[in-house]
Amino acid sequence: MSSPFEDVLATLIRQRGVLGCIVVGESDGIVVDANVQVGVAEAVVAALAAALFRRARLSSQSAGLGRVTFLQLEAEKGHVCAVGREGLVLVTLAEPRAHIGLIRGAMLQSVEALT
Amino acid sequence: MRTHAAEPWVEAPLQRFVDDARVLFALLLHPSGQVLGQFGFTRAVDVMAACALAAGIHASAGQLGRELDGQPFRELYHAGRDRQIFIGEVRTARESFIFLTAFGDESSLGLVRVFFAEMSTRLAQVVPPKADGPPLAAASLERDLARSLAALFGRAPTPPDGGAAPASSPS
Repeated sequence: MSSPFEDVLATLIRQRGVLGCIVVGESDGIVVDANVQVGVAEAVVAALAAALFRRARLSSQSAGLGRVTFLQLEAEKGHVCAVGREGLVLVTLAEPRAHIGLIRGAMLQSVEALT
Repeated sequence: MRTHAAEPWVEAPLQRFVDDARVLFALLLHPSGQVLGQFGFTRAVDVMAACALAAGIHASAGQLGRELDGQPFRELYHAGRDRQIFIGEVRTARESFIFLTAFGDESSLGLVRVFFAEMSTRLAQVVPPKADGPPLAAASLERDLARSLAALFGRAPTPPDGGAAPASSPS
């Protein structure tokens, strides 16, 4: 069964160094749709990334900084990027060699599809 | 706030779950309704009620699953207005246990499921072998229930000669 996020996920997964991309509910942390490489624990990544995005959004609001447009977590072995809209979060998991600028651009374009 | 366990092997995995998932209440129990560990409850009567309800819900859901799907449902979730409840089955080599947790906005169903799976694995690793003993009877069940609650709430266990068990603490 196809989902409305299939094209968005297909576009992102084609970016160099992307290990997976997931659409997840921000409040429940449950996967809505995903396109991930073998070995990526999508349910775990999705739940934790959604919680992270939610905290960041609440922190940003509390600090008077407005809505979070793009969240990037840089780690030893890769990156977690997230954008959100209408209670959904688009999460991308990428290797260190990935071009984050391109991924960021693609994600910000794709965020319109999260409705 | 710390977890309280009637059996020591329960405490570390349960505490880890509570710390990671940021839940409001957590309860691990035997399918008979006997409590093994808890977090967040302050009154023995609430633990008793939650254990009885969780055991009943789990048994009903299990049978419903068998009727509908040929196998018991192992997880159950209900979303309330402010709080949500998750009930799951912890399977170990010794036997299965029931886990009930309630959580609010600090957590999410996805997080609870992730950390529940981790806790189940940890419990399965540390569960001691089942002690040989007489078959479960009504009298011994009641005695064990009273002993578990006494261990959780720091009271002296009920004497085995049938003395009345303190069922609740003052509200």
